[in-house]
Amino acid sequence: MSSSRTESVVDVRMPQMGVSVAEGTVVQWRVEVGDRIGADQTICEISTDKIDTEVPAPVGGVVTEILVPVESTVAVGVVLARIASEARDPMGAPDSAVPSPADSALPSPADSALPSPADSGVAEAPHVRADPATATSGPNGAAASAEASAPLPLRSPRGYSPVVQRIAAEHGVDLSQVTGTGRDGRVRKPDVLAFLAAAAQAVPDAPLHTESPYRPDSAPPPGLGADAAGQATVLSRMRRQIGQHMKRSLDTAAHCTTWIEVDMSRVEAARARLGVTGLAFVARATIAALREHPALNAWLEGERYTPHAAVNLGIAVSLGADGLIVPVLHSAHELSVEGLAAGIGDLARRARSRELTPDEVRGGTFTITNPGQYGSIMATPIINQPQVAILDFEATVKRPVVITDGEGNDSIAIRPITILGLSWDHRALDGALSAQFLASLKRNLETFAYDQ
Amino acid sequence: MPTMTYLQAISAALRDELRSDDRVLLMGEDIGVFGGAFKVTQGFIEEFGADRVMDTPLAESAIIGTAVGAAVVGMRPVCEMQFSDFISCGFDQLVTVAGKMHYRQGLAVPITIRLPSGGGFSGGPFHSQNPEAWFMHSPGIKVLAPSTAHDAKGLLHAAIRDPNPVCFMEHKHLYRRIKDEVPEGVFETPMTARVARPGSDLVVIAYGAMVHVALEATDDLDGASVEVLDLRSLVPLDRAAILDSVARCSKVVIVDEANMTCAAGAQVAALIAEHGFEDLDGPVVRVATPDVPIPFSPPLEQAVLPSVERIREACRELLAY
Repeated sequence: MSSSRTESVVDVRMPQMGVSVAEGTVVQWRVEVGDRIGADQTICEISTDKIDTEVPAPVGGVVTEILVPVESTVAVGVVLARIASEARDPMGAPDSAVPSPADSALPSPADSALPSPADSGVAEAPHVRADPATATSGPNGAAASAEASAPLPLRSPRGYSPVVQRIAAEHGVDLSQVTGTGRDGRVRKPDVLAFLAAAAQAVPDAPLHTESPYRPDSAPPPGLGADAAGQATVLSRMRRQIGQHMKRSLDTAAHCTTWIEVDMSRVEAARARLGVTGLAFVARATIAALREHPALNAWLEGERYTPHAAVNLGIAVSLGADGLIVPVLHSAHELSVEGLAAGIGDLARRARSRELTPDEVRGGTFTITNPGQYGSIMATPIINQPQVAILDFEATVKRPVVITDGEGNDSIAIRPITILGLSWDHRALDGALSAQFLASLKRNLETFAYDQ
Repeated sequence: MPTMTYLQAISAALRDELRSDDRVLLMGEDIGVFGGAFKVTQGFIEEFGADRVMDTPLAESAIIGTAVGAAVVGMRPVCEMQFSDFISCGFDQLVTVAGKMHYRQGLAVPITIRLPSGGGFSGGPFHSQNPEAWFMHSPGIKVLAPSTAHDAKGLLHAAIRDPNPVCFMEHKHLYRRIKDEVPEGVFETPMTARVARPGSDLVVIAYGAMVHVALEATDDLDGASVEVLDLRSLVPLDRAAILDSVARCSKVVIVDEANMTCAAGAQVAALIAEHGFEDLDGPVVRVATPDVPIPFSPPLEQAVLPSVERIREACRELLAY
């Protein structure tokens, strides 16, 4: 029994997608009962209140049951489907080199005579030992030979030195992208520094007009105008959810919006030098202002008000016609401008490819929305509950402005100006504080030494 | 600025102190009429007299014990151990009496013990040791180990003027081999580390004679930019300078001429492991004398002492890591 194939039935359950997710809705089944599927193949799509995702098959086999119909919402852990798997009993593996009566009863005797690659660790060992060419490759016989012939293993994050990990964390570097020149391809400090230097150079000078971190992959499809005119459709699930959240926020919070004009000359100069988007600078300056005014980095849930020390920064990312999602850059206050730029870029990219995990869209303490790519200059954003404020960053536009020099002489200059809008909850704070916050933000953006 | 050997710099410091401060006196075996085993005090007895340049019996515990008593009543004795190895005979007076005096009775013990130390000249197991770590381990005693004539003079002035017992490790091998510019007159060198050569790819941390070996080993190391940090003072240990070098270079080789286990470099390695971890780009590497007595045989001695080649090899390995 130990070495024979055993057919076992494996339950596929509604996954725990994040600590905050209690239930999910089956959106679509990709398989039918009777289908033969491979391990990790997607069997269905599910939707939670945070995110849509796919459920992979835990094992390969045949789908025997589908228990939850489409559009049904069930709790985490509920069995969605069952798969009859064909798998060897792992405990029996060592016996497989010695044919047992059970083996000979298998329909395909060839299986035991010619071990499959999966069996090689044990079944091929006698061959390896008998081979003089490989037997000399190491003192430990089979094990050493197998190692010698195997490609170099990928280095785990544990293989990175402390300084490399620290630099990577500070600058948001994905170390798997860095070419190592140390022993066995190890990534050394000079490697990660060179990677950073190359990345800074590779970014072309961004245009003056502030870019949004996200771009539709293709031309935005027409909305309910043009071709679709006259044809009623039902709102998508995501649109319905966005609608519910926005309406609930307007019903909940006492919304006010305050604006301030900011001279972005310094930011424009610095971002050309650092090769990052203007949003990263606004994020950095916002975080500094939030640290100064933590009352805005807070949650208001009913009558419970919770200011936060850490800044978990939500960044609104457009998903084109589908809608909008707000991934969260956790502990954003620990990041440099470059680190913020990398983090925002990564979240936006993964949001568009639907790779976010539920925990990456929760826990935000403050949100920035940045829809300036089409040239709009002001908006009244809706607060992302239970936060108490949201910052709107639109286009940066060259304007004639009055500049006063040190001796009080006025002159007119052309400066890149943006209008930052802060929607805030009058239940949690008053206008003076929002104005002070915006003044800090303006001061930060106009005076920061971004290179440091 | 005059050029002096390491030995001349030590003589000059002693002479300057004897001339400028009546409380300073020298004690040691054969330091008077004979001028000292290494001739550091040659001619001193003629200038300062036998009361201030005292020949003592061959009894290190008596030398240090007497010095402790003299220091407590206001003198500033400078004791010469003929070879640093012999300090084991005076260990109790130094470690237990002098080192704890201030803690127990609030009394300062401003004594300086000069310890001609180190090997490299076929002195054998009794005349080649580097006992500095024994005293680093013992609270209440400062430990200095200069590598240049300049620092030998400045640190010896600092030692004699310090209110604590100070072990002054003077490396015998440097006595007449090292020569550099030394300012005239009295000056005190701070008890801090010194960047002997700045660099950015790797730092070799050393003290005493090993500073010179480290400099030679890394002078031209495949184009690498290698820093050499000369500790100069082991107690107090210049934590800021060490961590600063580590932060810049991220790779560290620590060289001790002393036996490996619990040597000064072990303390430096521990400091880096605890406080410099985030800056490291490779393992902290140590090069030291293995835990064996120093052989008398010249080729065997050369085989155990850290050499230019061994340091170079360790640096190459670590640079490639």
